[in-house]
Amino acid sequence: MPAEFPVYSLAQGGKPPDEPGAISSMDVRKAIPLGLLAAALTMVGVTGCKPPEPSGTTNTSTSTGDSGEPAASARKAPTAAGPTVTGDTIKLGLVASLNGNQKPWGDDSQRGAQMAVDEVNAAGGINGKKVELVIGDSNSNPQDGKTAAEKLVSDGVIALLGEVASGITRPMASVAFDAGIPLVAIGATAVDITQIGSNVFRVCYNDDFQGPVMAKFAFDELKLKNVAIITDNKLPYSQGLSKSFRAKFEALGGTIVDEQFYEQGQSQFTGQITNLKGKNPEGVFLSGYFNEVGPIAKQLRQNGINVPLFGGDGWDSTQLINSGGEAIVGGYFCNHYSSTEERAEVKDFLAKWKSKYGGVPGTTMGALGYDAAKLTLDALARAKGLSAKDLIAAIDETEGFKGVSGTITLKGQNGDPLKDALIVKVTRTGFDFFKSYSPDQLK
Amino acid sequence: MQAVLPGLAAVDFWSLPQQVVNGVLLGAIYALIALGYTMVYGILRLINFAHGEVFMLGAYVALFVSWKLGYSPEAMMAGPMPSNILNLVLMLVASMVVCAVVGVVIEFFAYRPMRNQPRIASLITAIGVSLLLQYGGALFLPVSPPPAIREEVNPFPGAFKVWIRQPQEPLKSQFLLAEREFEASQQALREEQYKLRTGETDPTKLLAKQAEVDAALARFSPLDQQVQKASTRVILPHGLVIMLCTSLLLMLLLRWLVMKTKIGRAMRAVSHDFDSAALMGVNVKTVVVVTFLIGSALAGAGAMMYATFQNLTISTFFGVQPGLKAFVAAVLGGIGNVPGAVLGGLLMGVAEQLVSWVGLTAYRDAVAFVILIVVLLVRPGGLLGSSKVEKV
Repeated sequence: MPAEFPVYSLAQGGKPPDEPGAISSMDVRKAIPLGLLAAALTMVGVTGCKPPEPSGTTNTSTSTGDSGEPAASARKAPTAAGPTVTGDTIKLGLVASLNGNQKPWGDDSQRGAQMAVDEVNAAGGINGKKVELVIGDSNSNPQDGKTAAEKLVSDGVIALLGEVASGITRPMASVAFDAGIPLVAIGATAVDITQIGSNVFRVCYNDDFQGPVMAKFAFDELKLKNVAIITDNKLPYSQGLSKSFRAKFEALGGTIVDEQFYEQGQSQFTGQITNLKGKNPEGVFLSGYFNEVGPIAKQLRQNGINVPLFGGDGWDSTQLINSGGEAIVGGYFCNHYSSTEERAEVKDFLAKWKSKYGGVPGTTMGALGYDAAKLTLDALARAKGLSAKDLIAAIDETEGFKGVSGTITLKGQNGDPLKDALIVKVTRTGFDFFKSYSPDQLK
Repeated sequence: MQAVLPGLAAVDFWSLPQQVVNGVLLGAIYALIALGYTMVYGILRLINFAHGEVFMLGAYVALFVSWKLGYSPEAMMAGPMPSNILNLVLMLVASMVVCAVVGVVIEFFAYRPMRNQPRIASLITAIGVSLLLQYGGALFLPVSPPPAIREEVNPFPGAFKVWIRQPQEPLKSQFLLAEREFEASQQALREEQYKLRTGETDPTKLLAKQAEVDAALARFSPLDQQVQKASTRVILPHGLVIMLCTSLLLMLLLRWLVMKTKIGRAMRAVSHDFDSAALMGVNVKTVVVVTFLIGSALAGAGAMMYATFQNLTISTFFGVQPGLKAFVAAVLGGIGNVPGAVLGGLLMGVAEQLVSWVGLTAYRDAVAFVILIVVLLVRPGGLLGSSKVEKV
């Protein structure tokens, strides 16, 4: 999922995107330190690591929205040799937002990954060696995420897991690329993440899939023709998702009557909402994170807009119900799995989670974190040797891995698994499974 | 990325009244905060940059009181619970009192020792206190995930609705009837939910009520769509009207205090000439304390209402944006001038909404700075202030 802060220097080859108004939300007092930080970040990005140039054919920005097809290009392989396990323990690195506004995701991904590691250890480890999960805190921002990844690499981890946010995953993937170790992203859905190198994988679908899924759902299932979009202009995730949603919805024959913008951290949306109301939408697509989606939903209802609301996996936190109240109940969003699914993997996972942590995970990142760790360790057990290079090859060979979030096949997919997307409905106490879409259904 | 400047043709003229109304509602809060800036400046010639952080603390106090009253996320898992106006009054009073105390404490520790130093020293401590509370606050205040005051605290979920352009009959009466039914079904559902706590209800009853709401909405939606096309209605949520009225009441109270009481006269005297007032026997220390007390209490009131009726998420940076806007509002109206702060606040609120209205949402906050620069260039004393140039 998504970026919390734009990290331009990496993905776009060092060229900052045209981001109007990016500075406008800062106040005088914050502007100076943030400005310095941004400058420092850009410098680190340019000089600190050499991101591989995205090759021409992988330019996903022209996507018509109904991909889900793997990109046709061969990805660049890391040149560094990468570490080999020598001692008695295998170190597995995880970067998660244990602080900051993405803490609900970070906590769950950490718990899920820990659970998978404990399980493998209880079953005797891998080749008789115990697995140790080494955790770094990304503090919900890309700079700290990169530092955490570098720290884990210097600790000698054989693979990196994480992050949930695309913006944090990007610099981490470059760190992993330079170190020659695999990175298995947990919830990073931005399309270009896996193009950083052949060592980058993810266990979730990407935004070129979930945007169209929501468009199809809105058009076919909710029978909406005129829809408005509200986008978080500060999040690459939200921008990408709105774009792929719009493309598919228009291709299906629907009309986007209006698109309004806000920026992460804002809390007053009445201006945008009043504009939206004049356009008379039949539904509103909210592509941002749960932090803002809750208050927006409330303010929409307060202003007399009683139409269906729907969004992407950025909604995924029970915190949404807390801040959105009655307004968000009945909304739909695209998710990776649902705790109300009937599959055996899900039931098994929930039972284990309950006995270990109590209750059910508040976000899907528990399941995705578990899948990411389990898949990596499963590949490591299959690998020719306990080296990073063999592990990359083994992960790339993964076929039909039965994950909690669905069956994952990475073989021949360039790091992007083909998976079903689930649509869940928000209730007063959680999210209920509503409908699932397979990649084939979107073609 | 979308074009930043959509054609002006995209502007919907009929949404203007709603935007102006929203602007006034928002402006009332800016005005409350601006009063704190302007009063302190009037007395001490000090820009109290920590004022926005006092506002932030006020929101947290309101949050904690609401939790104590049983509206915490954990307690709400058992089901919603009806609220009453007493809860709101308790939250308001608590916020005002705590903020007043915090304001006085900040004055005592951060500004008073600097009283005889060059003015720049106090300004720097003010910024220091502000940063301390913004970043240090996260150590002892809940910030992650960002908490919000539950909507259930507000016992007035409805709204006043005023027609600007009426739809034709019989559509209008059909629409109003369907709307009443929809709202009644929502109310019925809410009342059913209240019974969750006592166990007098069960899931089937709740589902039945939910189905009624869905059915009523299904009847209402097509009419709503039809009505929206050819009519305009300004919506004034009851909570926001309460917010506006309370703000105005507090401003009138302040006006009375400043103009009609002994301490008010002393404040005006000190504001006029600090040293002469001291020589004339005005207890300057008391006046300064009272100024901070009142200014901070107003910020606390604003924070409680802003956080409660707008259902905003709270963080330690909660006061940064409103504080900045209010500061600009105070300068716009003429810093040191009490009616000017109110005027400036309202103008700022409306200006901000109008910027959104023309589609420049991304520049909404930048407008505050543009206004500040223009005012400083054209009328350095502000709209109602003296034109005497003051060196800060």
